Amino acid sequence: MRYFVFRNQTVEPFLGESDRGYSAYSDISQVPDDAERFIWFYQVPFNPNSRQVADEVATYADKLGLVSSLIGDRELWVFSLVNLFRCPLTGSDTLIDEAVDAFNAEVRKMAREHTNIKLIDFTDFTSRYASDELVNWKFYLMSQTSLSPKLAKDFAAWFARKEEELAGKRKKCLVLDLDNTLWGGILGEDGMTGIQIGDDYPGNAYRYWQQALLELQQTGVILTACSKNNEADVMEVWEKHPFMVLRKEHFSAWRINWNDKATNIAALATELNIGLDSMVFIDDNPKERALVKQALPMVSVPDFPQKPFGLMTFFRQLVNDHFRIYATTDEDRHKTAQYKAQAQRAAARSQFAGFDSYLQSLDIQISVIEADDFHVSRIAQMTQKTNQFNLTTHRLTEQEVRQHVAEGWKIFCMRESDRFGDNGIVGAMFITGSNHIDNLLLSCRVLGQGIEQAFVAFVLNHLYQGGTETVTATYRPSAKNAQTALFYEGLGFEVTAEDAESKQYSMKMTGKLPVKAYYHIKME
Amino acid sequence: MEQRIIEIMKEVLEEQDIDINSTQETLKNWNSLSHLNLASELEDAFDVELDPADIAEMKSVRDIVRIINGILNNDGSNG
Repeated sequence: MRYFVFRNQTVEPFLGESDRGYSAYSDISQVPDDAERFIWFYQVPFNPNSRQVADEVATYADKLGLVSSLIGDRELWVFSLVNLFRCPLTGSDTLIDEAVDAFNAEVRKMAREHTNIKLIDFTDFTSRYASDELVNWKFYLMSQTSLSPKLAKDFAAWFARKEEELAGKRKKCLVLDLDNTLWGGILGEDGMTGIQIGDDYPGNAYRYWQQALLELQQTGVILTACSKNNEADVMEVWEKHPFMVLRKEHFSAWRINWNDKATNIAALATELNIGLDSMVFIDDNPKERALVKQALPMVSVPDFPQKPFGLMTFFRQLVNDHFRIYATTDEDRHKTAQYKAQAQRAAARSQFAGFDSYLQSLDIQISVIEADDFHVSRIAQMTQKTNQFNLTTHRLTEQEVRQHVAEGWKIFCMRESDRFGDNGIVGAMFITGSNHIDNLLLSCRVLGQGIEQAFVAFVLNHLYQGGTETVTATYRPSAKNAQTALFYEGLGFEVTAEDAESKQYSMKMTGKLPVKAYYHIKME
Repeated sequence: MEQRIIEIMKEVLEEQDIDINSTQETLKNWNSLSHLNLASELEDAFDVELDPADIAEMKSVRDIVRIINGILNNDGSNG
């Protein structure tokens, strides 16, 4: 069972029935062992007596606390409480509001103190509707469901996005047009002093929009620019325009030229080494959007608002649809610098004749770290987000990572830096107690430098020194990991079994595997 | 209208084998919960308001056709 839901009303029309278990109304005595995850979804009861309602709501926090103590470190997602049908008889009667606030404050506190408890802000959904749309009394009276079943479809879409948000999945990169997108007017015609950005409308709308994009960039979204302009003109604006919020340093890469935008976006994807399906393209020109949609169907291309005052609503939709995650990690916050370094590396590479001398020049430093509490969240995040270099695509939650460690797995992660910057934690290797490599993954931003071979060889040498002789491994093809299909062969593993679903490997080690000297690699 | 009702039922109940003779007994996904979603979808599709008594009475495709026809032919007054 994937989810078990604690509830005090009928919520099946919203959360679905397959692979779900439900408590009896208001019951917390059953806490099934086979549930992977728990959801708490209570509604404020409908009752004209506000004292009774407040008293009942006041019991929820204790119940929730009890549930939390019974589930171990399995995840518990708690919906915030929303009073869907307010009807106070006097304006000063705030009993229910206070009880609801107290419960929500308690959940926020629990979520801060326990990494396995996550708060789902239900107002994020309910605030989209008028009170009469939220509650349908006919259906409530027939079947105890206070949220209108007419919202079931919207709810399912919203909740699916929430699940991604909680798993840390989102788009990685925004590709931004400039003229009439980041500022008003056309730079090539109006000149630097003629474009609109500043304190008066419409310039203030673009300024606000740029501030919002900058905040988004700080959470780890990569900004890039793709514009038909002279690059020198844009550089002048980025460096000298007094009201510009987004400046050169905020963009990880750009294509400012007269090529078609589909070609430019594909080039940006290659340069940053990210998939087209992790990019969102923003352009005010419907023809450019249509071209990109048609040529690169993997790229998300939202419609752009007709008027500059529509930009903030547009921004909110953009965040809702593509970019919100539950919490950001240190890795997320350093994304721009890391991807910028990736672009510089690509440039440096073209200067060197031999690949070896290029790698030598990078001064690559690798630290291998055995998983501890500080690294579990990043390791789990990588299993969720890494697609291209992911040998079995086993997605793991934080608890599952911890559980494997408790079972005796050796889980290693790798920090990597070079002369262009610190890439952070960029790889992980999962080895079971019986020396089987369950999975190996590497962030796409460090691919193409042979780091993966060095990492694996180093870890296997470490095991060999500890007395391990035979190591096994599995490769499981996915839609995206074809580049790793022969990875284990390259290291000297032999295929022991193969079918459409997977390949099994084994290697008997008779000595240390070679690691090139220019990978400065150590165990931390 | 019959065909449209059947299409809506196929979508809501996630069952493909539905025809005019189908009933709550013959369709395994037609339970009290999906019944609610079905009623709500039918209301939106035909722009009608179903009375709780109507909803309780809908036990077969024929019932649904009859009830919705009744409402539409009486110009919305649910006689």
